[in-house]
Amino acid sequence: MDKDATLDAKGLMCPMPIVQLAKKMKDLRPGQVLELLADDVGSEDDVPAWTNRTGNELLAMDEDGGVFRFYIRKK
Amino acid sequence: MTEKMVMVVSEGSFDKAMMPLIMGTTAASMGMEVHVFYTFFGLKLLKKGVRPKLKGIMRPFTGMMERKMKRLKVPGFEEMMAQAKDLGVNFHACSTSMTLMGISERDLREGVKVLGASAFLNIAADAKVNLFIG
Repeated sequence: MDKDATLDAKGLMCPMPIVQLAKKMKDLRPGQVLELLADDVGSEDDVPAWTNRTGNELLAMDEDGGVFRFYIRKK
Repeated sequence: MTEKMVMVVSEGSFDKAMMPLIMGTTAASMGMEVHVFYTFFGLKLLKKGVRPKLKGIMRPFTGMMERKMKRLKVPGFEEMMAQAKDLGVNFHACSTSMTLMGISERDLREGVKVLGASAFLNIAADAKVNLFIG
């Protein structure tokens, strides 16, 4: 998937992936897509919860070997 | 209108120090306005240079916990305080507790606001999320 930036949050535990995600999204322009990598098991539900609350769009997510990959479009 | 979250912290042990910071930074990251009101023994957490200790018989193991958190890349108290401040989390000190605990305004961290119960309840009245940590 096309992306404009990547945030590697692997090795970080809750709440840091979400805190860093929120900060990183501020650097993007509306419509741009961020790829987020995280291996905190909570991320699977935390990231969709974050996009749901903030109105940003979760375009896709997958998991490979314990690493979650999310594509989020800034609103 | 921005959603609001308020927390009241009445104990000053390590877990009670960390939890409002974890919840507060997350809520702020989700776009919420966050207010934390520190009262009674929780108030000492707002003092400059404080290092919260584990509770009761676990107290001597505080250093061990801090090292473990560092190894696991879990941010410690000072780092979380800095993150919270950066994200705009509001810290409030209970005015009566300050007198009771012998803490003056100059003992407090920068940016802490001293409030009475009425002023806090005015903030809390329309908050969707309320947590009591004590």
